[in-house]
Amino acid sequence: MTEVNQTKKSNTIVHPRYGCAIGAINTVAAIPRGIPIANCGPGCADKQYFMLSFSNGFQGAGYSGGGALPSTNVGENEIVFGGHKKLDDLIKSSLKIMDGDIYVVLTGCSIELIGDDVGAIVKEYQEKGYPVVHAEAAGFKGNNLTGHENVVKAIIDQYVGEYKGRKKKGLINLWFDVPYYHANWRGDSIELKRVLEGAGFKVNVLFGSESGGVSEWKEVPKAQFNLVVSPWVGLEIAKHLETKYKQPFLHVPVIPIGEEATTEFIRELVDFAGIDNKKAEAFISTEAERYYYFLEHFSEFFSEYWFGLPARFVTVGDAAYNLAITKFLTDQIGLIPTKQIITDNTPEKHRQNIQKLFHDISDEFPLDVEFIEDGYVIEEKVRNVDYGSSVPLILGSSWESDVAKEIKGLLIPISTPIVSEVVINRTYVGYHGALTLLEKIYSETVRG
Amino acid sequence: MAKREIDLSLVDVENREMRLGSIISWDGSAEELVDNSRYELRSRDKRKSLEGCSGKKEKGCRLCELNMPFNQQTMCTHSIVGCQVGNIPDCILIEHSPIGCSAIHARFNLGYKMGLARRGKKIENIQIFSTNLLENDMVFGASDKLRQTILDAHNRFSPKAIFISMSCSTAIIGEDIESVAQEMEEELEIPIIPRFCEGFRSKHWITGFDISQHGIMRQIVNKHPQKQEDLINIIALWGTDYFTEILKPLGLRVNYMIDMASFDELAQASEAAVTATFCHALGSYMATALENEYGVPQVDAGQPYGFKGTDDWLRSIAKIMGKEDIIEEYIKAEHERVLPKIEALRKKLSGIKGFVATGSSYAHGMISVIRELGIEVDGSIVFHHDPVYDSGKSEQDTLKELVDTYGNIDHFTVSKTQQFQFYNLLNRVNPDFIIIRHNGLAPLAAKIGIPAFAMGDEHFPVGYDGIIRVGEALIEILARKKFGQVLKRHVKLPYTDWWLSQEDPFILARNPGILDEVAEPQLLESLTEDASPEASIIKSA
Ligand code: SF4
Ligand code: SF4
Repeated sequence: MTEVNQTKKSNTIVHPRYGCAIGAINTVAAIPRGIPIANCGPGCADKQYFMLSFSNGFQGAGYSGGGALPSTNVGENEIVFGGHKKLDDLIKSSLKIMDGDIYVVLTGCSIELIGDDVGAIVKEYQEKGYPVVHAEAAGFKGNNLTGHENVVKAIIDQYVGEYKGRKKKGLINLWFDVPYYHANWRGDSIELKRVLEGAGFKVNVLFGSESGGVSEWKEVPKAQFNLVVSPWVGLEIAKHLETKYKQPFLHVPVIPIGEEATTEFIRELVDFAGIDNKKAEAFISTEAERYYYFLEHFSEFFSEYWFGLPARFVTVGDAAYNLAITKFLTDQIGLIPTKQIITDNTPEKHRQNIQKLFHDISDEFPLDVEFIEDGYVIEEKVRNVDYGSSVPLILGSSWESDVAKEIKGLLIPISTPIVSEVVINRTYVGYHGALTLLEKIYSETVRG
Repeated sequence: MAKREIDLSLVDVENREMRLGSIISWDGSAEELVDNSRYELRSRDKRKSLEGCSGKKEKGCRLCELNMPFNQQTMCTHSIVGCQVGNIPDCILIEHSPIGCSAIHARFNLGYKMGLARRGKKIENIQIFSTNLLENDMVFGASDKLRQTILDAHNRFSPKAIFISMSCSTAIIGEDIESVAQEMEEELEIPIIPRFCEGFRSKHWITGFDISQHGIMRQIVNKHPQKQEDLINIIALWGTDYFTEILKPLGLRVNYMIDMASFDELAQASEAAVTATFCHALGSYMATALENEYGVPQVDAGQPYGFKGTDDWLRSIAKIMGKEDIIEEYIKAEHERVLPKIEALRKKLSGIKGFVATGSSYAHGMISVIRELGIEVDGSIVFHHDPVYDSGKSEQDTLKELVDTYGNIDHFTVSKTQQFQFYNLLNRVNPDFIIIRHNGLAPLAAKIGIPAFAMGDEHFPVGYDGIIRVGEALIEILARKKFGQVLKRHVKLPYTDWWLSQEDPFILARNPGILDEVAEPQLLESLTEDASPEASIIKSA
């Protein structure tokens, strides 16, 4: 189709890069033996599955997501007469049919609009002692990132419950990637857990293969502190826990990638927690030695490759990955950041802060950061960047594939949606992940 | 036989459940389903056909549904409209809804790009717009945002037509997309086509095809057609172009609709000499509308699958084209050409048992093909069942055709992508492989050791060569059993032992009280391991 001119900024979105709050079904499915129950239209959960799991590295939906997911599939009858009975039938039968430890009802737009009192239905089950939780997840109120925060808070309030006992020194609750939305979340949490344990901590990772499921969630109130590793997602959770359990939190806005950042991250944590640093330092020196063993080998390719390497790069993705990867490539590899576009609809109140974090990355190159959600505008910006004399490097989503082709650039997928690769156990963070990220970027480069 | 009326003066379509009496939940044998469907009776008298379920037995329908208290996520009409009118390269679809309803676009894009490649068109990203509605819009209305997005679409791409789709939330708050469409149509002087496809309106996602086709019939199809005597409409999806080759001896050019067709290709539908489809459940509405409104005849036959299906289908088209003289020879030559290969495949596949899980009449075709290969089929699922199609033509009664030609299927189930039932259904017949479209079911089959053939290219089984293609692919699929066996040894299903031990997949409908009889699955106990005595409000409550 021939394109004409661009219109002024509006509400329009093409090429969406996140799902709606119902997408937080994935947050529940990411808890071992957690069962999400969607209380919305017949297609809502399916659409979020396709955005966040299928078209995002073909991750698979795991135990209780995807086709297994119970849903009220609200029809005309419920819209007219209310959906209480259907939800009640569904919860009751889910408890008998789905083999889980916690059941979380997520209510979408249609039921929210007709005003069903979902809390009352769920409360009846809670009062009988069933591990059922409800969370608001109307798509018009928020996307899958804020939905994720809401679901976590609901589980804390309605399932984990009150706690006034003692805290365990050295135990951390980790609030980090949004499960499934970050295609590497499974590998990332393995690496971050490895790093934290290596440094002498115990960690509640809460999601994915390393989580102990509901028994681990029950440990949340006992942790010494909450660790938020993200520029904004998870802060709401940490603040909530601070009030609820008098639990302090440490906010590390930049996910550590590479030896220097990860080492600094560990030292900051050890310092904050006031634990002995011997174990951490020993761990750091082993990790550092290994890291530079590999980096040294890589450096030969990097300094001697005759056939052209990318220099200027743009990033298009959520605030967390965007910030972390921009920092690593600028600060550690010496690539030139040219345009950074944040696509996750970061709440207004965090934007200035995040912009500053970007600007702090480099004195040399002024960073150009924008918050945009409309793919049409994003792709136009990526197209019009001046990439200098070398091959343009675009770290973005699969929506950038057309423009990447047009400007003969390299496209490295780092953000939702991703349909050009299958992601299983992979990470770009910490010590190990940094090397994998280099592998990925430069394999793409040599492939041409 | 009587054609059903299709009223193009109405902006909306009647849902399948009302129009055809379609169902999504039923269990029995294929023969029983043919009997209970009463295709003939329904095609004669719509009102009569809907009687019966309310108690008046006699001649009326006895297609009573099995209503289950437990449901798993499925798909909505809004998705179907998105993957139909959202796939027209020079038109734009605007989804008037919060962003979640548009979350599937990246998946649509995969199919769309593949489709563009298969049809030899320029490959580029899909462009579906969302009005991206927020909380305030739910309170104050969002017509201005819709107008803005229409202008955006117009200014960015100059589309030849713009579709607007309604979602659950915009339907509930009463957005008047029809008025906005009319008003903007006058302003921009292109067809602006409102589509009412909010997910809650119909339990049949397939109603979304009718909704899409209805909009195209009303506002795109050429109202003053100039006949093109060599043009055949094939109502299709994204499948590979096998039809051109099959129809070459009849001198026909294929006009594929709706996916990847341009505005002009859709407009010329009324000029064609004949309309056919790879699946009557999908194509019958538009084929009938074209026949009623513009006199474009549709095939008087089932579907082009297996020997008999393909023979009949070709004969029917030849008859319409006045080329009966050449068709018998072609058919004979084709049989002779493919038979040796098919014989060889039959040997390789003997003793194998298959299971099909796809949309309804497509499943009928698919089963024909695998039975043609000598594969046993004693169980299958269709995601819905239409007891009659819009054409009302008895020659198109594909289920009857299947049973008459290839015999009964003992366990023939109507179930709309309900994974929990799939376990019991597969256990009942224990097949060596499944053939499937739509997501959500195949992963379960894999976890119990049964490999799945994901029929992504729906034209794959079409025609005589389709039988060979399917046979060859199945040999590859069967090898994957190894992977399934590994999973089976190590991966747990998300269902309780109680449910997995049920023999009847519809037990909850037949005996709703059974849920009360089941012992509690350990849930209450798990709460006693609380973090601390006062840790749980649940426990203390
Ligand atoms: S809200 Fe309605 S239209 Fe939107 S995805 Fe859900 S069921 Fe479909
Ligand atoms: S935005 Fe609302 S209506 Fe649409 S998919 Fe999400 S919850 Fe469903």
